[in-house]
Amino acid sequence: MSANTYDAIVIGSGISGGWAAKELTEKGLKTIMLERGRNIEHIKDYVNANKDPWEFPHRGGRTQKMIDDYPVLKRDYPLNEVNLDYWASDKESPYTEVKRFDWFRGYHVGGRSLMWGRQSYRWADVDFEANLKDGIAVDWPIRYKDIAPWYSYAEKFAGISGNKDGLAILPDGDFMPPMAMNVVEKDVAKRLKDHYKEARDMIIGRTANITVPHNNRTNCQYRNKCWLGCPFGAYFSTQSATLPAAMATGNLTVRPWSIVTKILYDKDTKKAKGVEVLDAETNQTYEYFAKIVFVNASTINSAWILMNSATDVWEGGLGSSSGELGHNLMDHHLGVGASGRYEGFEDKYYFGRRANGFYIPRFANLGNDKRDFIRGFGYQGGASREGWSRDIAELSVGGAFKDALTEPGSWQVGMGGFGETLPYHDNKVTIDKTKKDKWGLPVVAIDAELKDNEKKMRIAMESEAKAMLEAAGVKDVKTHSENPFLGRGIHEMGTARMGRDPKTSVLNEWNQVWDAKNVFVTDGSAMTSAACQNPSLTYMALTARAANHAVEALKKNEI
Amino acid sequence: MHRRTAIRNLALIIGGAALLPACMQEKGKPSIALKNVDLNADQEKLVGDIAETIIPKTSTPGAKDLGLHLFVLKMLDDCYKKDDQQAFITGAGQFTDAVSKKYDKLFADLSAKQREEMLLSIEADKDPKSTTFPKELKTFYGIIKGQTVNGYTNSKYFMTRQVVYELVPGRYNARFPYKQKQSA
Repeated sequence: MSANTYDAIVIGSGISGGWAAKELTEKGLKTIMLERGRNIEHIKDYVNANKDPWEFPHRGGRTQKMIDDYPVLKRDYPLNEVNLDYWASDKESPYTEVKRFDWFRGYHVGGRSLMWGRQSYRWADVDFEANLKDGIAVDWPIRYKDIAPWYSYAEKFAGISGNKDGLAILPDGDFMPPMAMNVVEKDVAKRLKDHYKEARDMIIGRTANITVPHNNRTNCQYRNKCWLGCPFGAYFSTQSATLPAAMATGNLTVRPWSIVTKILYDKDTKKAKGVEVLDAETNQTYEYFAKIVFVNASTINSAWILMNSATDVWEGGLGSSSGELGHNLMDHHLGVGASGRYEGFEDKYYFGRRANGFYIPRFANLGNDKRDFIRGFGYQGGASREGWSRDIAELSVGGAFKDALTEPGSWQVGMGGFGETLPYHDNKVTIDKTKKDKWGLPVVAIDAELKDNEKKMRIAMESEAKAMLEAAGVKDVKTHSENPFLGRGIHEMGTARMGRDPKTSVLNEWNQVWDAKNVFVTDGSAMTSAACQNPSLTYMALTARAANHAVEALKKNEI
Repeated sequence: MHRRTAIRNLALIIGGAALLPACMQEKGKPSIALKNVDLNADQEKLVGDIAETIIPKTSTPGAKDLGLHLFVLKMLDDCYKKDDQQAFITGAGQFTDAVSKKYDKLFADLSAKQREEMLLSIEADKDPKSTTFPKELKTFYGIIKGQTVNGYTNSKYFMTRQVVYELVPGRYNARFPYKQKQSA
């Protein structure tokens, strides 16, 4: 085997890339994982993880220089002082916004698995059947029964804490013990159940934070500093979970600073033979060869790589023969919800910082619930006691004010919706050859927007949030509904969808590119629809399933 | 620059300085280096006196003991837009004028009670349309108040001695009993 030849290449090292590397190496394949950014070593490189709040010069805030340096990241919460190094530079890696799209990226080993929200939910059959029933886009080529064992497999390894709630819309998984709801959340949950006669539920979030020790990882210490990288390895990330497992096989090579510019396609065999890499530090170009290629560069960048590949055969790139590559870009739309004040339990507080909240699964368009839009939405929220803030003019400066600052304020309950976005052919990414990044590579152009169905859904997301909080006895309920730009959900999906027909989809039921069967795409780009649950657990399950199929197909000489 | 021109310019600057009235002379630099805000030692002292009125030294440390006024200035220098920084400087002057008009004194020379009374009158002026105090004065005060409280509640002293912050709680108690402190 020559130096640049492996059994498998994995492009990207985030949630799905890490899983691909783990599965393929554990099955004995010599694998190279290519990551476009720097290395971040577990624990050692989590430089801010053990700092106290007062050690940050601006206490976590954002400076004007940061705002100038990150014109996209500044649009939402990710721009902050404490984990700035984990976010890709908007200036080094610009993109074109035909319509505004907030693209928040992590270009380093581990990708966004270091900063993700960790909420982990299974999809149900209603989600996999939705496109067929509604007659939109294309049907998923798989059903819940096809992926259910892989959900279990992913959950058992990743470590998902949660309660077995027995809900049809949100199938139970192989969970670790759940985190606890606080007294107010428990009360609100009970009142909601009574008010809606068990048609709506409020459950503790199911999260990829382990609650018991697991695979040499320490259980969650309730620091709520997950996005700094966890020195205990208590939440699932490439670094805490899949990378050590893959390294332990002795079969993995990790190459940081490796921007994959294209997949090398062999017209004669109709298969990929490897990839071309631009070294981000030296600007040198290299080629790597393998029997199979897993594309896990994140939804938009995976589409970019495919669109850049085999352009001498297909003008639109590898996988474009259906006309769907780069199309059907989805996200979850959010920024709409409600909050209010809860009276009572003034003698109760909580100790520890729980990096989790409650979840209200979808209820819209299920059972007797009928709406003027299709699909639905879920909510994430929590109850907590505010900092002290009584509006008494005489108590706003001086010694009494200073004393009062040490007391907790009233209980607040808040929640925000996550709405399903439909796959629209004209929500798309393309390559913009007129603009180049730091390495002289053409950038992506993103052209996507929310449409009528999502806009109608947002009205319901706002009014239902208010109605539910009020039904639970929450006072002074105020709603919010921000400008609904796509991207903010950081759940990009759909640019290389799975399907049953090569004429209308990019990937088959095993995540294989129809036009090159030894290329597997298993990140968010594979998604045929978006549902409203957080998608990462589904990427993990799809990746493990596809890797298993890839190795079986290799053994049978099918690819 | 030619040496001769440089000497002539230097002479002009020195000469000009000699002609300026005493109150316009160099007032001394602030005690921390600021990159974007041109603030003098008197203004720094004013910020310190206001912060100390908001979080006074009692049986526990006050704003000056904890360096909160310097935190206010660091935040002003790094985290605010040019417009706000400019308004802060303008507002500082307006604040001194307002104090002078009401008490015929500098803020530093007021009694503790008068200082509180002055700040409370600004706090009470909440209506954005009100013209009791100029806009810049309210920006000036608002930044000091917000960042003094931010600095205090995120200080090591507050988080370790006033409330119980632990870097590694290790557990989540969802039903923790709480008894309100008996405030004086």
